[in-house]
Amino acid sequence: MSSITTPTSSPGGGSSKAAEALDQLDQRFHPAAGLRKQFNKVFPTHWSFMLGEVALYSFIILLLSGTYLALFFDPSMEEIVYNGPYDPLRGVHMSRAYESALEISFEVRGGLFMRQVHHWAALLFVASMIIHMFRVFFTGAFRKPRETNWVIGIVLILLGTFEGFTGYSLPDDLLSGVGLRIASGITLTVPVMGTWVHWALFGGEFPGTEIIPRLYIIHVLVLPGIILALIAVHLGLVWYQKHTQFPGPGRTENNVVGVRIMPQFAAKGGAFFAVTAGVICLVSGLFQINGIWSIGPYDASHISAGSQPDFYMLWSEGMARIFPPWEFYLFDTYTIPSAFIPTAGFLPVLFLVAAAYPAIERRFTGDDAIHNLLQRPRDVPVRTALGAMAISFYLWLVMCGFNDWIALFFHISLNATTWAGRLGLLIVPPIVYWVTYRWCLGLQKSDRAVLEHGIETGIIKRLPHGEFIEVHQPLAGVDSHGHPIPLEYQGSSVPKRMNQLGSAGEPVPGSLLSPDPADESRALAQARHEAHERELAEREERAAARRALESRSTEELSGRPDDGGRPQQPGD
Amino acid sequence: MSHEQLARLAGELDEVEVVHNTPKFPIPGTRAEKRAERTVALWFVISALSGLAFLVAFIWWPWEYVNVGEPGYTIYSLYTPVIGFTFGFSILALGIAVIQAVKKLFPDEVSVQQRHDGPSDEVDRRTVIAQLADAGRSTTLGRRKLIIRSAGLAATVVGIGTGVAALGGIVRNPWAEGDEAPLWHTGWRSENGETVYLRTDTGILSEIARVRPEDMEPGSMMTVFPYRESERGDETALLHAQRASDAPVMLIRLRPGTVVNARPGQEDFNYGDFYAWSKVCTHVGCPTSLYQAQDNRILCPCHQSQFLATEDARPVFGPAARPLPQLPITVNDEGYFVAQSDFVEPVGPAFWERPKTT
Amino acid sequence: MTENPEGADSAAQNPPPGGRPEQDAGRRSRPHGKMHRRIAGALAIGLSLVTVGFLYTALAPQPQVAEAQPDAALIAKGEQLYNNTCISCHGANLQGEQDRGPSLIGVGDAAVYFQVSSGRMPMARQEAQAARKPPLPIFDPETAEGRANLEALGAYIQANGGGPVTPAERGEALRGDDPARGGTLYRLNCASCHNFTGVGGALSSGKYAPALAPASESQIYTAMQTGPQNMPRFSDQQLTPEEKRDIIAYIKSVNETNNPGGYSLLGLGPTAEGVFVFVVVMSGLVGFAIWLGAKS
Repeated sequence: MSSITTPTSSPGGGSSKAAEALDQLDQRFHPAAGLRKQFNKVFPTHWSFMLGEVALYSFIILLLSGTYLALFFDPSMEEIVYNGPYDPLRGVHMSRAYESALEISFEVRGGLFMRQVHHWAALLFVASMIIHMFRVFFTGAFRKPRETNWVIGIVLILLGTFEGFTGYSLPDDLLSGVGLRIASGITLTVPVMGTWVHWALFGGEFPGTEIIPRLYIIHVLVLPGIILALIAVHLGLVWYQKHTQFPGPGRTENNVVGVRIMPQFAAKGGAFFAVTAGVICLVSGLFQINGIWSIGPYDASHISAGSQPDFYMLWSEGMARIFPPWEFYLFDTYTIPSAFIPTAGFLPVLFLVAAAYPAIERRFTGDDAIHNLLQRPRDVPVRTALGAMAISFYLWLVMCGFNDWIALFFHISLNATTWAGRLGLLIVPPIVYWVTYRWCLGLQKSDRAVLEHGIETGIIKRLPHGEFIEVHQPLAGVDSHGHPIPLEYQGSSVPKRMNQLGSAGEPVPGSLLSPDPADESRALAQARHEAHERELAEREERAAARRALESRSTEELSGRPDDGGRPQQPGD
Repeated sequence: MSHEQLARLAGELDEVEVVHNTPKFPIPGTRAEKRAERTVALWFVISALSGLAFLVAFIWWPWEYVNVGEPGYTIYSLYTPVIGFTFGFSILALGIAVIQAVKKLFPDEVSVQQRHDGPSDEVDRRTVIAQLADAGRSTTLGRRKLIIRSAGLAATVVGIGTGVAALGGIVRNPWAEGDEAPLWHTGWRSENGETVYLRTDTGILSEIARVRPEDMEPGSMMTVFPYRESERGDETALLHAQRASDAPVMLIRLRPGTVVNARPGQEDFNYGDFYAWSKVCTHVGCPTSLYQAQDNRILCPCHQSQFLATEDARPVFGPAARPLPQLPITVNDEGYFVAQSDFVEPVGPAFWERPKTT
Repeated sequence: MTENPEGADSAAQNPPPGGRPEQDAGRRSRPHGKMHRRIAGALAIGLSLVTVGFLYTALAPQPQVAEAQPDAALIAKGEQLYNNTCISCHGANLQGEQDRGPSLIGVGDAAVYFQVSSGRMPMARQEAQAARKPPLPIFDPETAEGRANLEALGAYIQANGGGPVTPAERGEALRGDDPARGGTLYRLNCASCHNFTGVGGALSSGKYAPALAPASESQIYTAMQTGPQNMPRFSDQQLTPEEKRDIIAYIKSVNETNNPGGYSLLGLGPTAEGVFVFVVVMSGLVGFAIWLGAKS
C-alpha cells in the first residue's frame, strides 16, 4: 500500500517507478476514484476531536501488547508450587496462572515492561473513552443524525469495563481474586437466576477451577472481537456521516471546514498515534502498575486493607460501600440480598439512562432537526448542568470507592466517610447542577456583553464631569454616534482580552539567541501577504463563477436547493 | 493540465474547496526555513538516538531478576525504567518530529467540503421500496402465509436449538444435590461422623497445626480451617480445605469478662471466651478479618461492613445486612478445638433461594 | 500445637506444651529453589533443630518465677523513669487511671519497648489512637542511653506482673530466613489491616493500622507479642518466634524498594493508578492534542 501513498510529485526516478506501481495497481483494482474521495475527506480540527483517537490508539496498543503477553501467559488454575527467582514467594502454593504472570514479570526479557504497557494502556483506554464521551455530550455531538454512534460509544465503554475487569482478574493474584470473589457475590445476589448464572459462569462454587480459563477466552477473543467490530462501525459512521464542527466563520450545517486527510490530517493522526504510544511507554517504564509479586497469590482466607478494583469499577465499588443494608425477604423463603440493588441492580440502569439520553433530550426539546454544528456547553445550560451533575455523581461514587484511603491519610473516621458518602451523593449533584446552570448563564451574559460593548481594555478614563469609565474596544467598530455596533452571538467563542485581537503584537522571528535578518523577515512577511491576497482573489473569482452558475441552473435544473451548486469542471 | 490544476480538480470533484493553503516559506532558503527544517530533523535524530539507547539497554542491561538486598539489585531494578524511558521517548520524539514538520513546514490549510445529510433523493427512496415490494410479489412469498409461518417456526426452533447447543454445556444445576447442595453446607460438615478439628495455617501446607485453647491469648484472633485426621498427609485435601471459599473461620478469644449477647439457639456455640465466626462477609463474601481487639469490632476491608463481636457478630455499620454465621465449637478430650457441627445457616453472600434466618 | 506428620499418633496424643519441637520435619517436605538449601539436607535439619531448641529456650515466655532474678538497681532506675514520665496516666502502682491510661500490670517488657521506643508513649494527647512519633530522647532506641533506659523501664514493668519479653536480638538478626512463608502468614494475619505492602489501613471510627515501613524489627516483633491498641495479640503459641521472624523478613523485603517496575505511586494500588492515569497521562495527552491543534 505504501506505493499508493507515495506522492507522485517526488523528484527523480522514484516518481516514475511509483507511477508505474500505481498504474499496475489501478489496472487490477481501479482504486483511483475511491481513494481520491477518501484523501479529499475534510476533517475539522479542534483539540477535543483528538480524545477519541487516544482511545483508538490505546486500543491498538492493547491489541499489540496483549498478543505479546498471550505468548507467555498460561491461564490455568492448576495448583503448583512456585520455584522461580523471586525469593519472597518461593515455595508458596499458587495457581499456574499467577506463576506465569510472575514469569512474565521476572523471567521474560522486557516482560514486566510489556505487562505495564498493557495495564496502563487499558486504564488509558477506558479513561479516554470516558473523556471522549464527556466531549460528545457537552457539545451536543450526539444529536440527530448521530444517536447511533452515541449508543455504540456507551456499549464500548461498558465492554471496555468488562474487558478491563476480565484482564485484571487473569493473573489470579490476591487483589484480583478478591475482585472476582466480589463479582461472584454480586452474581449470586441477582434475584431468581443468580445462583444459576453463577454456576454457569464458575462451574460451581467460587472459585472452582474454570473461571480463569473462561475469563481468558472472553478477554482475548470474545470481547476484543466485539470491541474491534464496534470500533470499526463507530469510525465508519464518523467517516460516512462526516465529523461535526464548532460554529465559526464560513462554517454551516451543510459543510465541513478543516483540513483534508492528505496530507495534514494523516500526518497529524500518525504523529498523535506516536505521541500516545510514546507517552504510554514512558509511563509504563517509569511507573509501576499492579506489582502482583507484592500482592501474593489468591487465597480465599487472605485479604488486604485498601483492596480496590481498577478505577473504572471504583464507582460501582463506591456504591456498594455506601448503600444502606437493605435486604428484602419474600415470604421468608426468598431473599433479595442487600448487595443487589447497589451493584447488579444499579449499574445497568445507569448505562441504559446514558444510552437513552439522546432520545430523552429529543423528547423534551422536541428538536428533530439534523445538527452538524456543535454547541458550546454554556449555550445549553440545562444539558451542561445535567452533565456536570452526572460527573459529580460519578466522581463522588469513585471517592466513596476509596474512602478507606481518605480516612487513613486525612485522619477522618471511616464511618464518617461512609456517612459523608451517603449524604453527599444526595446533596452534591443538585448543588453542582445549580452552580453549573448559573455559571453557564453568567458566561452567556459575559459573551453578550463583549459583543454589545466591546472588550474591556483595562484603561480607566475620567470624563470631564468627573465620571470614571472603562474604555471598551468594540469588536465591530462604532456607528456615526460613536456607539459600538452590537454584534449578534453566533455560537462561537468570543475574544475577551485585547491580546486575542493581536494587541500584543508578534515575537520577532528568530532563534532563541539571535533574530533573523530583518530583510529576510520582511520579504517573507511580504510574500506571505501576497500569497494570501492571491488566495482571496481566487476565492472571490470562484464564488462569482458559482453564483453565475447557480442563477443559470435554477432555471434549467430542479436540483436540491441546499446543494450549494456542485462545482463544475473548470472550463479550460 | 498542471499538477496544481489537477490537484484542485481532485478537490472539486469531491466538493472540496481549498480556501487557504499557502506555503509556510514562500521564499526558499531563508534562515527561518532552515531553522524549521533543523528543528524537525533534530527531533528525528533524538528519536533515533533514543531508539538506539533502547536497543543497547534492552540487549545488554542486566535484566534477570535479582532479589532485594542482593548485589546488582539496583542495576536490575532500573531495567524496566531504562528500556521504558528510551523506547517511549524514541516513539514520542518521532511523534513530536512529525508534529513539528506539520506545524512548521506544511501549509496552513483550510478546506471546505459540502455535506449531504438527511433523507436520500426521492428517486432512490421510491425505487428501493418498489424493488423490495417487487421482490416480495414476484417470488409469491408475500401471499403464502403458510410458508411464512412455517419458515418462522423453523427459524425459531433452530435458533433455540443453537442457543441450547451453545449454552447447554455450561449450564449446571446449583441445586442438583437437593439438601446436600454446596450452597447449604461447608467443609465443616462432618462426613461419616469423623471429628472435624480447627486447624490453623502455618504457611506450610503439610504442617498440621490443630488449635488448642492455650494457643491463644485473650484479645487475639486466629484463622482456622476444617481438618480431619483422614486428611493427614493428603496435600490435595488439605489444600482444598484451606482454599474453599466458605471454609475460613475466625476463632476469636475475647478478653475475659466480655459478655456476648448470643443469638437465640446459639447460646452454646462458643467455648468459654472462644467464639468461631465465619470469616466470609455476608455482604459479598470478602474475608472480614479486621478484628479490633479493643472494641471487639470485626471490619470487612472491602466495603467496610462492621460486625460487633459482643452482639454475636451482628452488623452494626456498613452495607452488610446479616450477622456472620457462628460455628458451634467445643474442645474434645484430647484438648483440641473441634466443630460441634456445620454452620446452621448458609455462609457468605446471600442469594435468591436463601430463606430468612435472622 | 504443631505435629510432625510422620509421628502423628504420639504427637497427637501428647501435644507438647508451648513450642513446636518437631515442626522442621514438616518443613523438610517443602520445596526450596535455592541450591544451597537443597544441598544442606540433613545438616540443616540437625542445625535447625538445635537453633529452634535454642530459640525456644531463649524466647518462649517463661513462667514468672523464671524471670525472678530482678536486678534491683535496674528496676529502681526503671521506677524512677516511670515516675517521671508515665505515672500521670498509668497511676502510681501501674493500676491505670480512669479515662487516662490502662493498667500496665502484666503487659510486659515487650509492650514497654513497642510503645515507648516508637514514640507512641508518652502520648501527646488523648485521642482515638496513639500515633507514632519520634521517641523521647531519653528513650531513643538508636542511642545506648535510650536502650538502657528502655531496658530499665521494661524491667520495672516486667517486675510488676510479668508478660511478654522483648527479644534479645535487634535489627537484621530478627529477620527469618523464609520470607515466602512469612509472606503467606502476613497475608493471612496482617495484610487485612496493614495492606499488602504495609502502607497501613483504616479501621472503624478514626482508628487505623499504621504503616509498617518506619517500624524497626524489634518494634514489629513486640507489636505482634503484645497487640497494642486494637491489634490482636499473637502469642508465641499462635505464631512461633520463628514465624514472627519470617513475617518480619517478609515485611522488610516488601518495604525495601521492591519495585523493579518503576515508581510504585506510594504502593496504593489501583486508586493511585486511576488518579494518575487521569491527572497525568490523560492531561498530558490533552496537552499534546492542544499543541497539535493550535495554529502555528
